[in-house]
Amino acid sequence: MHQRDDDRTQRTATGRRRFLAATGVSVAGLAGLAGCLGDDGESAGAVADVGPREASVDSEAVSWDDLGDLEGELTIYSGRTRDQIDPVFVALEEEYDGLTLNVDYDDNDVQVNQILQEGDAVAADLMYSQDPGALAELEREGAVQQLPEDVVDAVPESYREPDGYWTGVSGRVRSILYNTERWDGDGDDFPTDIMEFATDDRFEGIISTRPNSGTFRGFIQAMVELEGEEETREWVRAMVEDQDIQLFSGGSDQAEAIERGGDDDPVVALGNSYYAARILNEDPDAPIDVAFTENDPGCLFSVAGVGVTNDVGDPELVAEFVRHLLAEEGQEFMMDANGEYPVVEDVDYVGDLPDLEELEPPEFDLSDFDMDLEEAQDLLSEEGMTV
Amino acid sequence: MTILALLSGLVAFLVVSPMFWLFWQATTVEATRAYDLVVSSRTAWITFNSITLMVLVTVFSILLGVPLAMLTTRTDLPYPRLWTIVAALPLVIPSYIGAIAFAGMFGPGGEVDTLFGATIPRVDGLSGAVLIITLYTYPYVFLTTRAALLSMDNSLVDAARTLNAGPLEAFRRVTFPQIRPGIAAGALLAALYAISDFGTPAFMQADVFTSTIYWEFSNFAVEYAALLALQLIAIVAIVLVIEAGIGRDEDVAGGTAKGSVVRLGRWKWPAMGFVSFIGFLTLVVPVAIFTNWLFRSEGDPIPSLEFQPEFAFNSVYLALLAALVACLFALPVAYYSGRSNSLVSRILERATYVGFAVPGVVIGLALVFLGTRTLPSFYREGVALLVFAYVVRFLPQAVGTVRSSVLQIDDKTIEAARTLNAGRLETFRRITLPLIMPGLIAGGVLVFLTTMKELPVTLMLQPVGMDTLVSIIWGAQDALAYRYAAVPALLLVVISGLSMLVLLRQEEV
Repeated sequence: MHQRDDDRTQRTATGRRRFLAATGVSVAGLAGLAGCLGDDGESAGAVADVGPREASVDSEAVSWDDLGDLEGELTIYSGRTRDQIDPVFVALEEEYDGLTLNVDYDDNDVQVNQILQEGDAVAADLMYSQDPGALAELEREGAVQQLPEDVVDAVPESYREPDGYWTGVSGRVRSILYNTERWDGDGDDFPTDIMEFATDDRFEGIISTRPNSGTFRGFIQAMVELEGEEETREWVRAMVEDQDIQLFSGGSDQAEAIERGGDDDPVVALGNSYYAARILNEDPDAPIDVAFTENDPGCLFSVAGVGVTNDVGDPELVAEFVRHLLAEEGQEFMMDANGEYPVVEDVDYVGDLPDLEELEPPEFDLSDFDMDLEEAQDLLSEEGMTV
Repeated sequence: MTILALLSGLVAFLVVSPMFWLFWQATTVEATRAYDLVVSSRTAWITFNSITLMVLVTVFSILLGVPLAMLTTRTDLPYPRLWTIVAALPLVIPSYIGAIAFAGMFGPGGEVDTLFGATIPRVDGLSGAVLIITLYTYPYVFLTTRAALLSMDNSLVDAARTLNAGPLEAFRRVTFPQIRPGIAAGALLAALYAISDFGTPAFMQADVFTSTIYWEFSNFAVEYAALLALQLIAIVAIVLVIEAGIGRDEDVAGGTAKGSVVRLGRWKWPAMGFVSFIGFLTLVVPVAIFTNWLFRSEGDPIPSLEFQPEFAFNSVYLALLAALVACLFALPVAYYSGRSNSLVSRILERATYVGFAVPGVVIGLALVFLGTRTLPSFYREGVALLVFAYVVRFLPQAVGTVRSSVLQIDDKTIEAARTLNAGRLETFRRITLPLIMPGLIAGGVLVFLTTMKELPVTLMLQPVGMDTLVSIIWGAQDALAYRYAAVPALLLVVISGLSMLVLLRQEEV
């Protein structure tokens, strides 16, 4: 086992390095060509080096009024959906006449892969992702740069990359989604320990999850860290073999199946609570609700956040933009639109979800689990939980 | 002929170029994991599933497409143009959208279940994927078979009938051999679509080859995704060789002689009912489901999904450009392979099919890499790279139709022109081009229709912030706000329907 793990680590390191080196060579060869074509590929400096235009952000709630004005154009690659970030972007564009936000929407994993393939010609100033694993991948591949000190310090260390290569903007806990008409009992009747979901026969044949999502992998990585690899494998295996877990490849598909409530649809799903919030937003009477486990990987606190690419046109603007997301108004938009938790300490959570003190989600360095992403993915493949 | 060979070589090289990126990526994998991945029992299982999916979709597409083509061209079915449009239009609906709508309408807890309490068996898994993909890809077979039927000398059938052959025997011995290349061309497109589709099998929870490609992709292990994509291409290569045998062109005798049509009599009612039923399932259901959401849902507004006319304009603009460029690219390849039956010409022609069989995100990623390394200032500025990507994916649709029309040119006509002292170019312009125009237009329309619905490459390569009808439908689905999908979905069907009129009009000349 150990031997294999070592190989794996080495592969990731050398394989990727070699890949980057090769990319570098071809880029160098073509740099001249790019120059001839009038591309202003000049780097305008590092984001971490430019000070705030006006107020800096910190763990106290700063208002947009105190921050520097946003003027210019930003290109944002988003893995989040439009309903989640449109409100804050629209509000910013209304607040500042001179601000244009060009937002590119696509699947989260596509965006990450695309940025990595774009190399030095990356079109995005920022990547906005709902998956810390995705941001961590960008950091590992050297595709994002450090954020300004005040931005880094405004967010608790467990909600960002320790050195400030990306930061969380809003948070959520993993949850249990269930159909209120079909679940026999109410929200309190669920086990508070995620491990029991694999052994409790009430869930046999009626439970589902989405194993290809970033937060599910994070959940598996967290479980390995808290419970051990063998226990995690046992859990996955029992879920597949004993509980006959239904597997979805899309979070929305899964939430819709829970809501639809047909005979073969799952009654209970492990997933993110905002899917339920989304359905209830469209139809307040929909028979869907969420429950939570306590102080275990099942209620893992995960963040959506941003990373800044290496070569941005206007570092000051990018830095100010991120400050706006972490300011009071930015945090409130995330709570309103997505039912998410703030990541800035002095912004109070307002909403229907339980307080974090109550759930006690375990704390992790979300960008650096003991088990890396690929191993977690392989663990799932080996135990048969793939879509 | 040499210039032609060089031109087709160039086109083939251009559209195959993204595959070099796959090879290069695949060389960076670590051997042990790669080996495990490629030869695992799971890979064997999903390969089996993928091939099953492909074969069944192909068979059912033929069973649906050929009778519909016969019905709209060879019988006295009333309003043949209307039914032709209805039968061809499912091609414009992205199949995964169809799958979602199908589940929303007929699935347990869906509209039919809620309204009538009727429980229809759940459609999912491999059989569900076969059903949905067939419903949205059979038009390939329908359109190519229809073209073959229209250009075939129909008086032969009458001759056979006078020789006392029954209708079935006449079909088997006279019609079928003539339209076989047409059927094969459409069936090939349906087969390649089926094996490279990801969205529908994923929605149906069917475990197929593209699932593993995406599994690696979502793990950011692009090099392994590339390796698996190459494995997929290997399977496809076999299909391409097999089809080259079936679709072999015993120089089809062209002719326009009209034979007598089959009188349907009372049978015209069930016939029209059948086509309506297909149209209902494939077109009315998705639009109705989305429209229902339009009136039922009450969610917060999502500003960037709010309908704007430019979404439709962008879709049409991109699809027109793609159709135009695809026709230009298809011309040398199709002409060369149609006129010279050399091995080289056949290989070049077959090479253009590869891009159609590779999942869109993989092609997209390859072009992201190649685009940023060659012409970075055009990357996501303007639509050049995006249009090129469409051509890489959809060129075979144009190559196929143009080639069939090239095959129908009578050599003697060209020889006659040459003996009358017309130069090569003049002969091409005055004789050949008019003769292959129907093929070009048919190919252009096919590329137009499929570009209108293309999603993964559009999302990756469109200029940042440029939205199309399909990107909005996707965005609405992703945010579970289907009400925003209603208008774009309806427009997609209407605009594509209008483009079909172009195809029908030129056939009447």
